[in-house]
Amino acid sequence: MANGHCFHCAAAIPRNTDITLESADGKISFCCDGCLGAYLIITGSGLEEYYRRREIKQAGAPPKNSPSFSSAALMRHAYELDGKSAIDINIGGIHCASCVWLNENIISRLPGVEDVRVNYATNRARVLFDAEIINPAQIFSRISELGYVPRPYDRKSAVESAEKEKKELLLRFGTAIFLGMQLMAYSFALYAGYFQGISDEIKFYLQLFSLLVTTPVVFYSGAPFLHGAWRSLINKTPDMDILIATGALSSYIYSIYATIKGGEVYYETAAMIVTLILVGRILENSAKRRAASGVEQLLELAENGRAVRIRDGVREEVETAELKEGDCIVISAGERFPVDGMIAEGCTDVDESLATGEPLPAHKETGDCVISGSMNLTGTIKLSCTRPREKSFVARIARLIEEAQNRRAPIQKIADRTAAYFVPLVLFLGVITFIWHMSHGAFFDSALMTALAVIVIACPCALGLATPTAILAASGGAAKNGIIFKGGDILERLAAINLVVLDKTGTITEGKPSVISVHPADRIDSSRLVSITASIESASRHPLAMAVCKYAESKNIRYDMAEQATTVPGGGVAGIIGKEQVAAGSASYLKSLGITGEIPEIASSPGSMAVYVSYMGKYAGAFLFRDKLRHDASILTGYFESLGIKTVLLSGDRQENAESASAAAGISEAIGGYSPSDKVSYIEDMQKKGFKVLMIGDGINDAPALAAADTGCAVAGGTDIAVETSDMLIAGHDLEKITLAHRMAKKTMKIIRQNLCWAFLYNMTGIPLAMFGALTPVYAAAAMSLSSICVVGNSLRLLVSPRSGTKRFNTATLHDQGWENG
Amino acid sequence: MDETLLLLIVLSLFLGCGCWLLFVWGVKKGEFNDIERPKHRMLDDD
Repeated sequence: MANGHCFHCAAAIPRNTDITLESADGKISFCCDGCLGAYLIITGSGLEEYYRRREIKQAGAPPKNSPSFSSAALMRHAYELDGKSAIDINIGGIHCASCVWLNENIISRLPGVEDVRVNYATNRARVLFDAEIINPAQIFSRISELGYVPRPYDRKSAVESAEKEKKELLLRFGTAIFLGMQLMAYSFALYAGYFQGISDEIKFYLQLFSLLVTTPVVFYSGAPFLHGAWRSLINKTPDMDILIATGALSSYIYSIYATIKGGEVYYETAAMIVTLILVGRILENSAKRRAASGVEQLLELAENGRAVRIRDGVREEVETAELKEGDCIVISAGERFPVDGMIAEGCTDVDESLATGEPLPAHKETGDCVISGSMNLTGTIKLSCTRPREKSFVARIARLIEEAQNRRAPIQKIADRTAAYFVPLVLFLGVITFIWHMSHGAFFDSALMTALAVIVIACPCALGLATPTAILAASGGAAKNGIIFKGGDILERLAAINLVVLDKTGTITEGKPSVISVHPADRIDSSRLVSITASIESASRHPLAMAVCKYAESKNIRYDMAEQATTVPGGGVAGIIGKEQVAAGSASYLKSLGITGEIPEIASSPGSMAVYVSYMGKYAGAFLFRDKLRHDASILTGYFESLGIKTVLLSGDRQENAESASAAAGISEAIGGYSPSDKVSYIEDMQKKGFKVLMIGDGINDAPALAAADTGCAVAGGTDIAVETSDMLIAGHDLEKITLAHRMAKKTMKIIRQNLCWAFLYNMTGIPLAMFGALTPVYAAAAMSLSSICVVGNSLRLLVSPRSGTKRFNTATLHDQGWENG
Repeated sequence: MDETLLLLIVLSLFLGCGCWLLFVWGVKKGEFNDIERPKHRMLDDD
């Protein structure tokens, strides 16, 4: 009988577990003592509320066997703040606001803790404590007893400067807004004065005040653009910044001139350009800040902090950073390997999904190599280090990601390309106007004013707004559909891709094996075989064992707990059911148990695995497993192939497995046996050949490739590191959404081009008027607001969700809904 | 008439500056570092 789910972590309760408690809510059960302990701590602190308010119902992080924390090591991360000790802690496993609430309350109830603040966005806690009453190790143990993973966090200079930059941007923006509001009051008075008449004196005062409030907006708030424009001027690469600077500065200078000489002013244009562009910058920045933290997280994986080293027969605890080649360390089950090494003694199963993406644990014996960051699952082993930590696999992956991120060529944004042609043209027209008016007998100052008017009217907000508003609206529309773009340029990159690279395991496949067929021996019927196998496998947490139990449950086949089930790493599992011996595992394992009866070779297709079962000392049958293809994988490839975009499967798995998976999903090319760095070099080779690559992956082994590709797309449920190094994220592992994202990107580019055309159209009618000195402020103001409204309105069309998520995709509906290529 | 207008303009400018200083103080103090958590904190009993 199924036992239901753990009250604390909501994971399925293993069969042989019976941990229950009588509580006010009735009898509640737990999956392990760790969860029971966490429950007792939470209720003991009077925080039962947590269970009612938390949002997640699926399995959370079950408490690990609590690691011990060394107070001396942690004290090094603490620092002084307002005369008290403070420590920053990264808390892993926070899913919702209730987790934040729980952590804050539990920590703050420890004696000696003065204040706790957990930042929901960064999952980082700052704890103020009295070092004489409590030490950091006690705080860390308390967090880890609840099932969260605390790690000391050192404020790094890169993060510091990013946060400082964010604050500065916010200050600039806030300043622009406050002064802009003042400015609008004066401007409206001036507008009214233009139509109704105004005394020259008051007009002059109002213009003077306008100048007073506009100056900080242009030179303080607009400083980033002015700097950028100056840089691009020196480098002779005209970009968006030049356009903004020209627009803001020319209207500012023109207005000063008009204030002195008498005339209409355009201070509000200068202020508005700066303010609106700042909004775009702020939104873009907040999305990008998270990218750097992926590498940080990766390095923390291998950072166990301390390890037990054996030297000359003496055990001593050392920092993992101090480990050298040839050192011998002890790794017990459930720990990650801090360094690359070779097993010196013992055998165990190792979860290497980090490096290979493969879900099945690999069996390792004395003499086998293991890589850092992978998880030791079953046995305690002695490990001989082959590489120190800074050269280990995890460190190399981190370096690969960083290199790939740095190397990626910045795309020339469509707005920058426009500016490259437009700015010189406008300046040229301004000069022509000035010369023409001078040579036709105009005074110097009136010729200059006409020329500046040309530049002002040519650079209205619409041009600056064309791209940011479209991208904002598209990002909003995409987020509603579960697609997260980490920055505006991603849409431009995604729209241009012409090669799709996919990862296999976990991306286009389920990432865990399931039973595809059962082959009973002659003397036993199928359901009986499933029942006895599930009975003994229920004791194991091996993915294949869990697949058998799941299969039995899906077929409604009853099974009981086996007695004395024992697991042999790398072999299988054996136990007793109703006094009869049952064993399941590899063919060689059964032979080693002395099973009589011939074990037939189950014809297996590439990519599938077999488990053999014996009953009462005789061969009883076999199960065939395969990592099943996701149902929407072929929709994804079908969509791209129909657009003439080639799809390639890159896998760390064997070639034949990669080929069978790609054939089933309709992928045109498959390459197996690729390491994480092979994937990067493949992508870079293709980029050199002129391809724009979209990489779709989920694992840490895909992270460098995701960073290297023009667009890296992670699927939710993948590792955090993959998610953070990628450019976009698909929620709910719905591969079909990638097709939607691609269509949205195309549509966005189409809208941006339309916006630019609109803006130009208005300019093109305004410029000739200005050139002949016939431009009155009314026309100018009307043209500016009208073009801005057109552009914003057009962009807002992207907010409309293209279709409900349930409808099947096919090419016909695609065209009907106008989501075809722009 | 003109003096009144000038006085009002200057007054409004001072008021605006007051708000702006408040905002600057908020940013410097880190009030905008986490804009997600406070809305939940409000619902906590203690």
